[in-house]
Amino acid sequence: MSRLEIDWTRCDGHGLCATLLGAAVELDEWGYPVLRGREITAGEGPDARRAVLACPALALRLSRSVNR
Amino acid sequence: MKTLLATSVIGDARLLAGVERGRLDRQNHLWTHGAPPDLTRANYQQLCEAVGLKGRGGAAFPVARKLADLPDRGVEAVVVNGSESEPLSRKDRLLLSLAPHLVLDGATGLARALGAPHVLIAVHDAESAQSMREAILERDDRLAIEVTETPDRFVAGEARAVLSALEGGPAVPPGRKVLPTRQGYHRRPTFLSNVETFAQLAVLARLGARGFSATGLSTAPGTQLLTVDGAVQRPGVIETPTGIPLDTVLQFAGAEPGPVLLGGYHGRWLSQPVPLDGASIVVALGSATCPLGEVYQVAQWLSAQSAGQCGPCVFGLASLVDDFARLLHGDVNGWYDAQRHLGLIPGRGACAHPDGAARFLTSALQVFDDDVRRHLGGGCGRPVLGVLPVPGGVA
Repeated sequence: MSRLEIDWTRCDGHGLCATLLGAAVELDEWGYPVLRGREITAGEGPDARRAVLACPALALRLSRSVNR
Repeated sequence: MKTLLATSVIGDARLLAGVERGRLDRQNHLWTHGAPPDLTRANYQQLCEAVGLKGRGGAAFPVARKLADLPDRGVEAVVVNGSESEPLSRKDRLLLSLAPHLVLDGATGLARALGAPHVLIAVHDAESAQSMREAILERDDRLAIEVTETPDRFVAGEARAVLSALEGGPAVPPGRKVLPTRQGYHRRPTFLSNVETFAQLAVLARLGARGFSATGLSTAPGTQLLTVDGAVQRPGVIETPTGIPLDTVLQFAGAEPGPVLLGGYHGRWLSQPVPLDGASIVVALGSATCPLGEVYQVAQWLSAQSAGQCGPCVFGLASLVDDFARLLHGDVNGWYDAQRHLGLIPGRGACAHPDGAARFLTSALQVFDDDVRRHLGGGCGRPVLGVLPVPGGVA
């Protein structure tokens, strides 16, 4: 299982993540992503990886969720 | 910036022992507190566990867990975070200015126990910096101790922003969440905590767990420093046993009746007295000023304090300033928009500034519900007296 993470210092609100991964990401009124805060399912994996690669600001990451 | 406020003590004076006569130089410090004992890392670990000492910078992270998270060897630095960027808080710069040796005892004692070659002290103001530099010259610690003045901006006091500033970088929090205990100063393991934490460590080292626990709550024994300000007769820093009821503090300081802000500009407004629970700032608003007008001024300041790195913080706080302005002038849409924007901000930044600002503003709308109604019905009829200080004045 994995989870999306945003580096807020990099994100400029391009919005590609919401286009490529509408089920897990929506945009707020300023165009910045709002994560639905749940695990990315195995089925969404490829789309999620595509969204991470597509981010022009390199602000999106997919992290293995490890409970510290 | 206001100069130092008065100090007072309820119960045992520990951190503030002797400071009523002014700054404690090395000699006076030793007379007041005695010589610091030489403790090992295991000693510190046991002591902190025994009394459940928590960091005094606001996050209340257990010190024992921070120590346990450091590797066995290779600890690079002990960092004293004296930024105290919360504008209402005075306790840390008071310790740096009046009891510098107590802070240094805590930091150097721990650095020796951890085998860390560097002790770094980050401060925001010239007076604290000078007091610490003088104190270092009076001692012979055989450690590399450095005092650095970092920028006076709210988010510049965040732990990772301080580390970045100490390395010569910008004083803003990095986007990646890393723990200083793993990747701190120059990406090496670092113990970082707030000024008061180190003073408490120095007291704990001398008193031992049993002596330290002679006052305060059984679950979190010892004393705490509170900054009391606003509509009170005796503003200043008070040392009290932990667990003291808020009512007692307000009475002691001679507070006017009215709303109370707990925890500063990242804190929350209270509708009724609650346990202090680790908060170190108490501000009484009184009843002569317009609460929403006061909150609006602080909202403007909070928005201007954003480092400008994260979109939701930049746009969200600016929108909230606008929402509160409209609310003040009786526009009900200001209230609706504020509620929506407050929901959009928390958890969406590199540091806790947006979260803290949202907490402050959310609680204001809850506690000042009656005033909101009055403003929507044409105004509350009270002037904005500026009971809540805003550094640099009102825009």
